[in-house]
Amino acid sequence: MMKLKDIKKTFKTGSQSIEVLKGINLDIREGETIALLGRSGSGKSTLLSILGGLDNPDFGEVWFNDLCLNQLRDQELVKFRSKNIGIIFQQFHLVSTLTAIENVLLPLSLAKNTNAFEIATKLISDVGLTDRSAHLPSQLSGGESQRVAIARALAVNPKLLLADEPSGNLDEETGEKVMDLLFGMVKQLKTTLVLVTHDKEIARRCDRIINLEHGSIK
Amino acid sequence: MIFKLFVLKEFKKSSYFFLGLGFLLVLGLSGLLSISFLTENIQNNLRSNARQLLTSDLAITARRDFFPEERKLITDFFKTKEHKTYQVVDIYSMVTNVTTSESRLVEIRCYEDHFPFYGQITSKGSLLNQNDFLISKELVNLWEVQTGDWLKIGDSQFKVSGIIDSDSSIGIRGFSLAPRIYLPLVKIIQSGLLRPGSTGQFSIHFKLNESEEELVKIRQELLKLLPDPAIKVMTSKESSNQAGRVFDYITDFMSLSALVGFLLALVGIFYFYQSYLLTRLKDFSLFYLHGLNKSQILFGIFLQFSSLFFFSLFIFFLIFNPFYFYLRDWLSTIIGFALPPGLNYRNFLINIPMLYALSLSILLPLLKGLLRTPLGLQLKLSKQALGYFHPLDFLPFVALLWIVAWQLSHSLKIGSLFLFSLLIIFFLSLILIKSFQKMAIYVRPSRTLCFINLNIGLSLRNFIQSGHKLNLSFIALVLGISLISLIFQLNFLIKKEFTLTDNKPSLFLFDIQEDQLSDLKKLGREKGLELSGVTPLVRGRIEKLNGFKFSRTEEKWDNSNREEEIEARTKNRGINLTYRQSLSPSEKIIAGTPFPETVPEGQNFSYLSIEERFAKRMGIKLGDKIIFDIGGVEIEGIVRNLREVKWTSFYPNFFVNLQPGFIDDAPKTYLAVLDRSFSHKKIDFQKASVNKFPNISFIDMEQLIQKLSELFEKSRRAVELISWLSLFIGFVILFGLCQDQIFRRTYDMALLKSLGFGYFSVLSQIMIEFGFVFFMATGLGIFLGWFLGAIIGLEVFKINLAFDFSHYVVLFLFLIFLCLATIFLVSWKTIAKNPRELLSDN
Repeated sequence: MMKLKDIKKTFKTGSQSIEVLKGINLDIREGETIALLGRSGSGKSTLLSILGGLDNPDFGEVWFNDLCLNQLRDQELVKFRSKNIGIIFQQFHLVSTLTAIENVLLPLSLAKNTNAFEIATKLISDVGLTDRSAHLPSQLSGGESQRVAIARALAVNPKLLLADEPSGNLDEETGEKVMDLLFGMVKQLKTTLVLVTHDKEIARRCDRIINLEHGSIK
Repeated sequence: MIFKLFVLKEFKKSSYFFLGLGFLLVLGLSGLLSISFLTENIQNNLRSNARQLLTSDLAITARRDFFPEERKLITDFFKTKEHKTYQVVDIYSMVTNVTTSESRLVEIRCYEDHFPFYGQITSKGSLLNQNDFLISKELVNLWEVQTGDWLKIGDSQFKVSGIIDSDSSIGIRGFSLAPRIYLPLVKIIQSGLLRPGSTGQFSIHFKLNESEEELVKIRQELLKLLPDPAIKVMTSKESSNQAGRVFDYITDFMSLSALVGFLLALVGIFYFYQSYLLTRLKDFSLFYLHGLNKSQILFGIFLQFSSLFFFSLFIFFLIFNPFYFYLRDWLSTIIGFALPPGLNYRNFLINIPMLYALSLSILLPLLKGLLRTPLGLQLKLSKQALGYFHPLDFLPFVALLWIVAWQLSHSLKIGSLFLFSLLIIFFLSLILIKSFQKMAIYVRPSRTLCFINLNIGLSLRNFIQSGHKLNLSFIALVLGISLISLIFQLNFLIKKEFTLTDNKPSLFLFDIQEDQLSDLKKLGREKGLELSGVTPLVRGRIEKLNGFKFSRTEEKWDNSNREEEIEARTKNRGINLTYRQSLSPSEKIIAGTPFPETVPEGQNFSYLSIEERFAKRMGIKLGDKIIFDIGGVEIEGIVRNLREVKWTSFYPNFFVNLQPGFIDDAPKTYLAVLDRSFSHKKIDFQKASVNKFPNISFIDMEQLIQKLSELFEKSRRAVELISWLSLFIGFVILFGLCQDQIFRRTYDMALLKSLGFGYFSVLSQIMIEFGFVFFMATGLGIFLGWFLGAIIGLEVFKINLAFDFSHYVVLFLFLIFLCLATIFLVSWKTIAKNPRELLSDN
């Protein structure tokens, strides 16, 4: 489904250049779950941002089926992302002025889905937050916020779900519950998942583990 | 240690933040301190030139000639004192250019030998001589008259002996009805111009070899000796204060405008300090855990703010000095008074503690909030929160603001009205924005995010959740815009009033003697015109009010209370009375009933009609009994009604109207006007009249209105300058507030982009949300300013409601544009940020 060919990415900090990704080649098959393991600064998040079309590589190609993402213009990339990619962040990142259900409604509204409200209600129910649906992010706990974020990421039924250490900001017990929910929903919706994590236990739950070290796959 | 921790380290650590705050403080202080400096400098200059302004050590003045018994009392009083004396009579009269036969009104200062004791009036560098006939440059500019030309005044012709180069007896000439000329008194008496009832100011000046304290004593003794309130005794102190009066009123209003600017700066400081304290709560908790108690922490913040305040003051001085020297000439042109090059800091030192206290008081709620914060718990919390502050915590600030407004306006009434208006604006703004937020909750669809479209729907939700921070920027904006709109409205109303319209006369005639009236009317008819508004003018004074003798009110000159000043002046002024059965077109009765048609047999008192504001100042009510002294005869009157007079109609109107039949035989002159419909014949009529009746004076209304407009324009420019400064401060705060809001939403915006929203989509959401708030703030601000202006117009100038639609539309669009440009400048870069920053490694 997705193919990365010789991806290179360099960041400049002052006069120094840091090569974060050093020629990554990766094939992601539809429906598979992949864990990206690696230390801080190994390039996991950069790779994730390239997969999600949030950033462009300096070199190499990103293919999504027959579509080369590097050749898309900004506006096309935005459109592609809204239809095909779901993202879950470590810091939850819910829109602070929208309630839980409105956060889930957001990508559906953007996609002009006519059943947006029904889908959002169902997803909120699926993540067990029916009674908290009218609450603002500031009124939700960390675990609740991440569950809303999962529901939002899956709302448009994306082909690829990118999760950036989704339990990294939660206590062990809550984190486990959130991961159970995530894997359960991914399985149920047959969504492709790329998960960035430090936790080897969580990584083992994926079909494939990719170790990233100093910008290269080991 | 506290100073090092809270001042030195914090200033270094958050240098941009404190520089920003300092900038705000400098801006806020600059208006107020500049005005206080200017006022002080001018007062100081007037004080040091006081004797030159008065031309003597002491002067006894009245708006009528002194009675022989009064002259005797004065002569006897000074018999034992070593002195020199002269008389000065200031009168208005027509002067005719013999060459061109043109005539116009002039102010004639009739002087005697030795004038002036102090100061100098020069022509081509030479001092005024005993027989000089000097004319002002203004007259030269108007007529191109030169030394040696002949001018006719009264029945006599005089040869111009020089043109005035400098006149130290002129202070701040805010407004002069006519150009001034100098002529020996004896010549004026010979010309037959001075007749009974002539409009003028009569003064007897003295040069005394006495100390200041002794002069004050002499003044008090003279006031007792001459009980008529219409007689004033002035030393140089009273003279300098009187000279600065016009400027005092302008600076009062400039100070209030500047106070709005300072207030806006304080609103900004409150907001930004709140954000600062929140970001520093963790550090304060650490200090607390390591042994500093809350009082020490509060003291540290107090030290920090005080240092910032005084540092800002220092910066202000650094900037102001060269700025003043550079702009001194320009400012002098605006206020019509040469500003001295030297700087005087007395007022600064008086005002600074007041402004410092006011600045500190706005932080009081925050400090109380900090006091209520459980500092020990802050380190455990994922999100820090400052303790609550109660609305009552703002009370000291409001009270201080009231005192400052009172002090700056020198009027409890204006100071209180100012505070009241501010509170009204504050609460109305709050109610409006809260109501819209509530309304938006009801309007918001529950099953979709779209409202018209998705961008507007999201903006609506942001608006609902924006909270008190947005409210604060909304209020700051409304305050600034209201001020501009108020100035704008007053400008419009006054300009409208000072425009010659058909209902305003084209000529105003005064000093018409009784025996000249019928001939004057006849002359008018010969010239094809009819005089209107012919009204007798009788001079008198109030002897008793409800049985109590009406005594002189001591006029305070300490610049402390404008109402008392006006009241004292009103009470001490001799009154011009008239008698007429019906009202003039510019009058209407607002209380009581009109005069009865006839006077019943045996009625020994006249009913009175009193102008409402005069009645208020004098404490006169309906039914009050007043005894007037008119030329030594007592006339009794009972107040029958109170009248509202539209003075800007420029028709002959009076504070006191009596019924016909009681003072008809009193010595009097007449006033009359020539309607606009005859304006094309006015010059011809004026020439013929001046030729035949040289004592009658004419005011050309076109010229008068032009002069009034110029005076108003000067004041308006000065006040407007300060108002724009206030609005600028408002925009600086708006910039800061928007930046803060956008900064807080950085992640929200990046998130929207990661979800598939484009750059323009996010930008339009921000522009719609803030644009809506700006739209409301601008609309409300303009409306409130207009409304306040309309009320002031109605109350002060009796001008009906009016709305300058096209100019307001321009102002509205201009302000909206400024607001949107501000938010665009603040947000475009943040929105352009790549959403990858949301990821954990970033």
